[in-house]
Amino acid sequence: MKTFPTEPIVWPDGAAALRAEVRGFLAEHHRHPDPVRRASSWAVPDAAFSRALGEAGYIGMTWPAEYGGHERSALERYIVLEELLAAGAPVGAHWIADRQTGPLLLRYGNEEQRRRWLPGMARGEVYACIGLSEPGAGSDLAAVRTSARREGDDWVINGQKVWTTNAHNAQLMIALVRSEAGSERNAGLSQFLIPMDAPGVTVRPIIDLTGGHDFNEVFLDDVRLPAAALVGVEGDGWKQVTAELSLERSGPERYISSLALLIELIAHAGPDAAEPVRSLIGRAAAQVSTLRLMSATVAARLAAGEDPALAATMVKDLGNSFEQALPHLVQASIEIDTADDTPLAAVLGYLLQVSPSFSLRGGTREILKGIIARGLGLR
Amino acid sequence: MNEQQQMLADMADGLFAELGPKATVAGHWGRIAEAGLTGLLVSDANGGFGGSWADALLVFRLAGYHALALPLVEAVVAARLSGVLDGLGSLAMRCEGVIDNGAFTGTVGGIAWGRDADYVIAAAPDGGAMLLRRGDATVREGRSIAGEPRDAWVVERAACTPIDGIDVAAIGAFVRVAQSAGALDAALALAVAHVNDRKQFGRPLAKFQAVQQSLATLACEAAAVNCAALAAAMALDARDASYAVAAAKTRAGEAIGEATAIAHQVHGAIGFTEEYGLHPLTRRLWCWRSEFGGDGHWASVLGGRIAAAGPARFWPDLTAIST
Ligand SMILES: Cc1cc2nc3c(=O)[nH]c(=O)nc-3n(C[C@H](O)[C@H](O)[C@H](O)COP(=O)(O)OP(=O)(O)OC[C@H]3O[C@@H](n4cnc5c(N)ncnc54)[C@H](O)[C@@H]3O)c2cc1C
Repeated sequence: MKTFPTEPIVWPDGAAALRAEVRGFLAEHHRHPDPVRRASSWAVPDAAFSRALGEAGYIGMTWPAEYGGHERSALERYIVLEELLAAGAPVGAHWIADRQTGPLLLRYGNEEQRRRWLPGMARGEVYACIGLSEPGAGSDLAAVRTSARREGDDWVINGQKVWTTNAHNAQLMIALVRSEAGSERNAGLSQFLIPMDAPGVTVRPIIDLTGGHDFNEVFLDDVRLPAAALVGVEGDGWKQVTAELSLERSGPERYISSLALLIELIAHAGPDAAEPVRSLIGRAAAQVSTLRLMSATVAARLAAGEDPALAATMVKDLGNSFEQALPHLVQASIEIDTADDTPLAAVLGYLLQVSPSFSLRGGTREILKGIIARGLGLR
Repeated sequence: MNEQQQMLADMADGLFAELGPKATVAGHWGRIAEAGLTGLLVSDANGGFGGSWADALLVFRLAGYHALALPLVEAVVAARLSGVLDGLGSLAMRCEGVIDNGAFTGTVGGIAWGRDADYVIAAAPDGGAMLLRRGDATVREGRSIAGEPRDAWVVERAACTPIDGIDVAAIGAFVRVAQSAGALDAALALAVAHVNDRKQFGRPLAKFQAVQQSLATLACEAAAVNCAALAAAMALDARDASYAVAAAKTRAGEAIGEATAIAHQVHGAIGFTEEYGLHPLTRRLWCWRSEFGGDGHWASVLGGRIAAAGPARFWPDLTAIST
């Protein structure tokens, strides 16, 4: 039995130059990052930053030029992403469009959808959100009830999505809905592209436990869409969503949220770090460096045309567990006043509060372990 | 894997599966020598195979996978460090003593199969490494908890050859991570087969979600160690491997603790028997976690180095491992 791909990562020619180029870009556009904003990098929307990234050619990097893309390799894209996230750059506005929605439209979307939406995404001006979860459908995604009904050539959508990150910034949502009345579970589902300004779409904020506003409820009341709003094949929604999720799961964002904390811990410890903090830094670094290579290996296998779904799921599960454990390990090792305004206290305080969500968003820990168990032949 | 590596892996896999945990040096070392494996990392010019550390990882991982009870990994590395094929070499985990006029007096300990070895590579008392021939050393025999020989040589004024630029502890640590990567995958394979086969409450254990979730955790830990081992091998082939090796040995130590507990738990009592094939893997893993520095040691080394470099160097140094 082999649990993980054993092919070494072969970085593309010019990798070092690209890395240096991104670091140069960050030095110019991301000068004095606030440590808490660093820790929330891919949740922080910043329209100006997204536009600058788009101008630099760092969004839609692997997409065809005819849709505004830059035809770079998947590993080049990986280098850019990990550098942006490690620096804690505010990539939240366009993050979902670049990672998930753009590639989904390239794979399944029709020509009209691609021409209409992809160039704006690549410019860093068009943002997307993911309409999967509903009040009655969380882990059990096949329980979605939002419906699409045909009326003449049109589709009429009714229902509700929830926990929709970025819905208040996005111009479009890809929603998973039941397009066949009376269908059950994962049959009869389709994906639709819903412009957020379509009549009948209402977005209501949900405030998270830190007081922040990232996710929302989205109500869909008689939202009328043309036939061309269907994404991919009618009835294939489940299959398409499953493919989308493996893009969602293995990226560097799945382990890197706590990097800002580790960096503040190193600063706090000083050059002659004493135990137990010194060993904690070593243990955390061992985790981070391993996770980075696991994540990059998955990117390399994807680039080679394989579907390393099991490995991708492992990366998310291990990454989330590490990100979640670190704040508590730090708290256990140093005396800290959580009301302090030092960078370390601020990042620690923030991550203690948000880290429970790491093993929920993008598929819960239990669901991921279930997928891994299936890959092992246990179910 | 290229074609040559595939052939090497197939050969090693077949041979180690046959020899396994019951092999003895007296009975079976000839099979290893015949296959030419000792020269894996020795140059072509000196009669070896001229392999890379990535090739070595393939072979060492399989030695771990099959719980091979022979000093294969030590012999391969010792031959590489000495540069020639000349008798059976091993590695020492400890060294106490002095070098005076090119002669060493003291004790080198933690030598795998020291009783059978002709020479040993050890850390030299003042840094670097040295090659010590057995000569008239007094051999003190010991055994690890996995039942493998771990011996010490006590020597007086034995001729020793210095080897520059070698960190025996780091290379030994890499070797143990490579073996652990294989043994963890093998323990997972045993566990998966067992829970699919064993029925309780009218169904296979594999159908219980608690069992599934535990084994998913075991698989993730095994995967992490395999990835860390590969990173360390690539770093040894490319450049300074000290960061990658410290990280890999630290990560492996953590994985071993968690993974062996799960492997035993899902097996129930059968896994606790001498007859069943789990303990040759787990008892070795428990030894390897401590040998050539445990995770506490390497975490402290790595943490100290990172702290000394300062927060601004953290990410650049981390990415330099593979870039
Ligand atoms: C910060 C954040 C952002 C999000 N963004 C989005 C978004 O943009 N778009 C979107 O569609 N969704 C989003 N989600 C929703 C997310 O996908 C769901 O939270 C997740 O799928 C779990 O669903 P639930 O919250 O309803 O929990 P439930 O499904 O009710 O689960 C609660 C607990 O029960 C466990 N559980 C459930 N079923 C099983 C089972 N069969 N076996 C064992 N344990 C089980 C779960 O693992 C979990 O621990 C977001 C969530 C968060 C926290």
